[in-house]
Formats: sequence, structure tokens, C-alpha cells
Amino acid sequence: LSSEEHIRFEELELLALGALPEDEAAALQAHISGCDECAVKLAQARGDAALLAFAVQQERPAGTIRAELMARIRANREAEAHSAWPVKPVEENRGGVAGQKADSGSGWWNWVLVPAALALALVSFALSWQNRRIASELQRERKAAEAMIRDREQIERLVGVLAAPDTVTVKLAGTSDAANASGVVKFNAKAGIVLYSADLPALPKDKSYQMWLVPVNGAPISAGLLGPGGHAWGSMWTADVPANTPAKAFAVTIEPVGGAPQPTGPKVLLGAA
Amino acid sequence: VTAQGTTGETTTDWSLLARIGQKDEDALSALYDRYSGLVFSEAKRILHDTGAAEEILQDLFYQVWRTAERFDPARGSLAGWLVVAARNRAISKLRRKSGKTEEVDEKGVSLKVDVESRAAQSLLLDKVRTVMGNLPENQREALECAYFEGMSHTEIAEKTGQPLGTVKTRIRSAMEALKKVLS
Repeated sequence: LSSEEHIRFEELELLALGALPEDEAAALQAHISGCDECAVKLAQARGDAALLAFAVQQERPAGTIRAELMARIRANREAEAHSAWPVKPVEENRGGVAGQKADSGSGWWNWVLVPAALALALVSFALSWQNRRIASELQRERKAAEAMIRDREQIERLVGVLAAPDTVTVKLAGTSDAANASGVVKFNAKAGIVLYSADLPALPKDKSYQMWLVPVNGAPISAGLLGPGGHAWGSMWTADVPANTPAKAFAVTIEPVGGAPQPTGPKVLLGAA
Repeated sequence: VTAQGTTGETTTDWSLLARIGQKDEDALSALYDRYSGLVFSEAKRILHDTGAAEEILQDLFYQVWRTAERFDPARGSLAGWLVVAARNRAISKLRRKSGKTEEVDEKGVSLKVDVESRAAQSLLLDKVRTVMGNLPENQREALECAYFEGMSHTEIAEKTGQPLGTVKTRIRSAMEALKKVLS
């Protein structure tokens, strides 16, 4: 294809459909990048190909996706607002003693050069140590900032889950082992997130309360601990469970401290999902 | 289109984009309502994976949020860009190893049909499905292999056992039929 020749529309259609082998597509793209007329025709061919998207059976995405998108946008806006944090790159200290060899015959000159070289070496060492310290501090600060961003993303994610229309609320009632206990669970099966709070009596130090998701099929799945070892979020606890696991019920049992792979102790809270 | 950027009851895409450029979350939400189903369904049709399709959906609208000012109403269609970009990203995920697909710039898709209202989308969906349903099986297969599976014409020829020229003719005939929905 010479630079004067334009690409036939049939070829542009194949390009728009993604139906050309890589080498042919690359050759056409090279021409199009310098040819406005073919670029306009390619945009037209892409528009024609886009009609195929309307041949697909339409489905609505889950409501949580919109909540996640909006949470991501807000997190990004906040991050941008706080990103005016001028970080100067730390330049490696290139100072040091030049590789000079003192002339043994230069007499008094050594009395000047040797102390000067020693002083320079000391300054160089001090600067190098200071640079390492600054670099290390910067790395610590960066890690702290990254951790804050991760925390914020997790919070936005949890807020998104709480607001999502497919999040269900399950009330937990005390069993005969803890008649006055109560609790509430927010559960989003699609995201695989459980958030909960509970009013429970204190336990001996060697025991923990553990939340269980009782699936429609199969054995109970641990949904975290209410206490040390659990993940607190404000006044609630939270845990990730396998996504898309339909829940039949939620229950809290008393287990050895640190929790158990399957429930072994008495059930104190129970609620049907 | 009025000075307020509306066509009848519908706010135009460009009016929404202008507001998104001013960081108006409600405008993004309205645009998401308008096209999320289309983008998600297309990506899921290609990938057969709900999670991956949702990821593409969210990433595309996040990109619109961040780069709204790059879209040029005079040179392209936002709806067209969304479906072409979604398609390319989905194919890229599908054929991750080949790295075959291109990233389409924001001015690069000219969709000559109004899809800004639910009614207009619904009408186009009906028309395109009717055309696709009436295509000869071998033409539809060739078109779908290219668009939804990211196969080149030579790969389609290998798959179907047909000469390359036949595959090209089938794709061209199918596209001619498809474009009639625009008239």
C-alpha cells in the first residue's frame, strides 16, 4: 500500500472487526496514522462493527459494581486532593575521596592533603549515611501512604457493600446458652463479605466467639472471630468468605482462642438468612 | 438537541460528559445507567465470566470519569467508543497471550445511530437481533468468530475449513446486511 493509495473500506471493516492477522493490521494502522481520510473511514467501520454489541442478550450488572465504581471515584478524588506531596528524589551521594595518590616527595604538601582527604572522607561518609536515612524514611512514608490508601479502599469497599441493594440483613438471637445475647449480620453473597456486630457476655481468656456462615449446602464456613484475631471495622467485625456462597443461616459459637476450623463449642447466637 | 443538551426527555451523552468533566458524580451515574447493561452484556458474551466483565465495565466508566475532556462530540460517538473499547479489552483478556487488540482512542468510533434513550436502544437491539437471526448460518458464524472470539479471517478459515476468500466474502455480506439497520 503506497502512501497515496487509500485503504479499501472492506479492509477497514475487517480491521474494525479485529479479523485481520497482526501483521496486516499493523500495516494498515501505519498508513492510517498518517491519513485522515482513512482514519475517518475506520471510525465509521468501527461504528458499524459496534452494532454487533446490540446483538447480545442484555443483562444488568450487579448493583455492587456501581457502588464500587462510585467508591473508587471518591477515593481517587481524595487521593488527588492529598497528593500535593512534593517528594524530591534522593540523589545518590557521589562525593568521596578522589583517587589521588599523594606524591611522596612533595613534603609539606602531604600535611595539607592528607587531613583534607580525611575530612572529605568523613563528610562523604556522613552524607552517605544521611542519604540512606532519608531514603529509608521516604520508603517508610511511602509504605504508610500505601497502607492508608489500602485501608481507605477497604473502607470504601465495605461502605459499598453496606449500601448495595443485594446485601441482606440477618438478625441473630441468643440461644439457651446466652439468652440475652443478640447480634446482626450484613451479608453480600456476591462480594463474599460479612459484616456483623453482637452483644455477648465476656468470655474466659482461653475462649473466643467465632462467627459461622452456614451455607445452603456443605459444612459451616468460618466468618471470623469477634475479638482478638478478628478484623474490626468501627463497632463491627468483618470477614471475607467465598463469593457467591448462598447462606442458610449465621451462627456464633464459643471456641478455643484463635478459633477452630469447624464449630466445636456451644452455639450462642443463631439467625436464619 | 437543545441548548441545555437534551433531546426531548433525554440528556445527551455530550451534555453528561461535560458535567463529568466538571466532576459531577450524578452525571456519571446517569451515563452508567444508560450504557452499563450494554457494556457488561457485551463483555460477558465474549468472556463468559461475570467477574471479568464487571471489571471491564468498572474500568471503562472509571476511565470516562478521569478523561472525559478527551472525548470530542464532533469526531466520535461515546456509546460507540464504550462498546468498541469494551470489546477490545474483553478480547485482550480472552487472548491474553497474543496481545492482539488495539486500544481505541476517544475519537475513533463513529456510530451513526442514536442510542441515548432506552427506547432507541431497545429499537436497535430488536433490529440488530432480527438481522442477525436472518443471516445465513455461515455468515453469522464468521462475523461472531471475528467480533466475539477475536479470530482473524485466516483462523476462521482454518476453523471452518473454507477458503480465505470465502470467509472474507461471508463477513462482508454479513456486514452489508447489518448496516441496513442504520437506513
